[in-house]
Amino acid sequence: MAVCTIHTSTQSLNSRCSLYTPTKTHLGFNQRQVVFYSKRGSSSSSKRGSSSVITCSAGGDSQTIVIGLAADSGCGKSTFMRRLTSVFGGAAEPPKGGNPDSNTLISDTTTVICLDDYHSLDRTGRKVNGVTALDPRANNFDLMYEQVKAIKDGVAVDKPIYNHVTGLLDPPELIKPPKILVIEGLHPMYDERVRDLLDFSIYLDISNEVKFAWKIQRDMAERGHSLESIKASIEARKPDFDAYIDPQKQYADTVIEVLPTQLIPDDNEGKVLRVKLIMKEGVKHFSPVYLFDEGSTISWIPCGRKLTCSYPGIKFAYGPDTYFDHEVSVLEMDGQFDRLDELIYVESHLSNISTKFYGEVTQQMLKHADFPGSNNGTGLFQTIVGLKIRDLFEQLIATKQAAPVEATKA
Amino acid sequence: MATVAGLNLSTPRVFSRATDSPKVQPMKSPFLNNPWKMPTRFGNGRVYMQPLRAAPDSISEKVEKSIKEAEQACEGDPASGECVAAWDEVEELSAAASHARDRKKDSDPLETYCKDNPETDECRTYED
Repeated sequence: MAVCTIHTSTQSLNSRCSLYTPTKTHLGFNQRQVVFYSKRGSSSSSKRGSSSVITCSAGGDSQTIVIGLAADSGCGKSTFMRRLTSVFGGAAEPPKGGNPDSNTLISDTTTVICLDDYHSLDRTGRKVNGVTALDPRANNFDLMYEQVKAIKDGVAVDKPIYNHVTGLLDPPELIKPPKILVIEGLHPMYDERVRDLLDFSIYLDISNEVKFAWKIQRDMAERGHSLESIKASIEARKPDFDAYIDPQKQYADTVIEVLPTQLIPDDNEGKVLRVKLIMKEGVKHFSPVYLFDEGSTISWIPCGRKLTCSYPGIKFAYGPDTYFDHEVSVLEMDGQFDRLDELIYVESHLSNISTKFYGEVTQQMLKHADFPGSNNGTGLFQTIVGLKIRDLFEQLIATKQAAPVEATKA
Repeated sequence: MATVAGLNLSTPRVFSRATDSPKVQPMKSPFLNNPWKMPTRFGNGRVYMQPLRAAPDSISEKVEKSIKEAEQACEGDPASGECVAAWDEVEELSAAASHARDRKKDSDPLETYCKDNPETDECRTYED
């Protein structure tokens, strides 16, 4: 029934052993699980240990689709995740009965894991070594790769938990292969091996002005914080951010760029935003959204005789461009929606948004009107990217079902 | 072998309140459904305490403390690894504090309780 393979790789000081056993879930398809044992001295660097892997594959496996979401800390990854899982239906919640400080979210179709869980240095370790969490040396990419690959292959893993409150690594939690796995964090596209596992990738690119405004909003009420401390924290982290996080955007299939508005001269409040959705051309199962006429360059102010908008209005732009030598389509929205008819009017003029019915984008935006960005381009484009990912998922599933099944039944 | 036994326990998991999962052990052991909490699982003699979620207040204190430490760490050399790592810690704790506030905001204690215990009296809902 089951086919087993055993791999053993080279020995070294650390030993890691993986064991896969077949299990059956309520979803009805066969799954396997793997346990990674790693002996590591406290805050030792990630040396590759010897690993022996036993895999048992049974027939009827359905592969997990892996999505990568990269952004700096405090740049709206959680909000994006809530919008994305909502598009797939069902709320995403932390694993029941597990560690209350788990960073994982699970819904019927989707599991979201936070890549901070792959920190190889805990808070004290980073302090002692004088490195930030942004530094690749503070992260275990070998384990990240092995576990994401295992999940993609339908194998459950015991993933570590990085506790953001205590700054320590907690005992691991079991992650079963979902239909869609989202890996979100600082480095989903940093390591080439992990990058190659991604079926789709997104980078949230928040301009410095907006980042500063958002962090003021987030932290000013916190005791001990001041404008100076917020500024100092952003500035101190910037060299590592520029060296290790920012370069990942060249690999992303889609980038959401958040900039200050151009509708209000010299605005630096960061309340009104100009948001760009940069979509790579030629990505399999992903066809970029367009406005009016695919491939043309368009500037559009929806507010006028047919639609009246409140100050400072709304402005759209669309057109082809290049981004890190890639051909891309860029859709831009400046301004914000203050009324429902503004939103539905805009939605009805966009094409290729992968909705299942008229007004689905508007419905999703209204459903989460309390989320940050629900009245501007961040919410609109996050929702659209969610719909595009649903479309990509459905196309991938259809392709797999059409392909002849490689039966390994003995 | 103990490990393998541990693995098998994990098969019927909290996922479904499914009727087909064998309810043979009504024991109140958290390890039955959450075997990863089982200390023996890790086999190397380490015993883990189940971590408790810190109250948001204590995160606020940590944020405040980390800012003071960062300011001190940067007095000598603002470009030193020590200084940069200290401000990174401030960012991490500030983000954690913000998440804790969000979680507190949208968690109603009764809703949370009823999600896990829908069959209890206080969680009954009536039609008409």
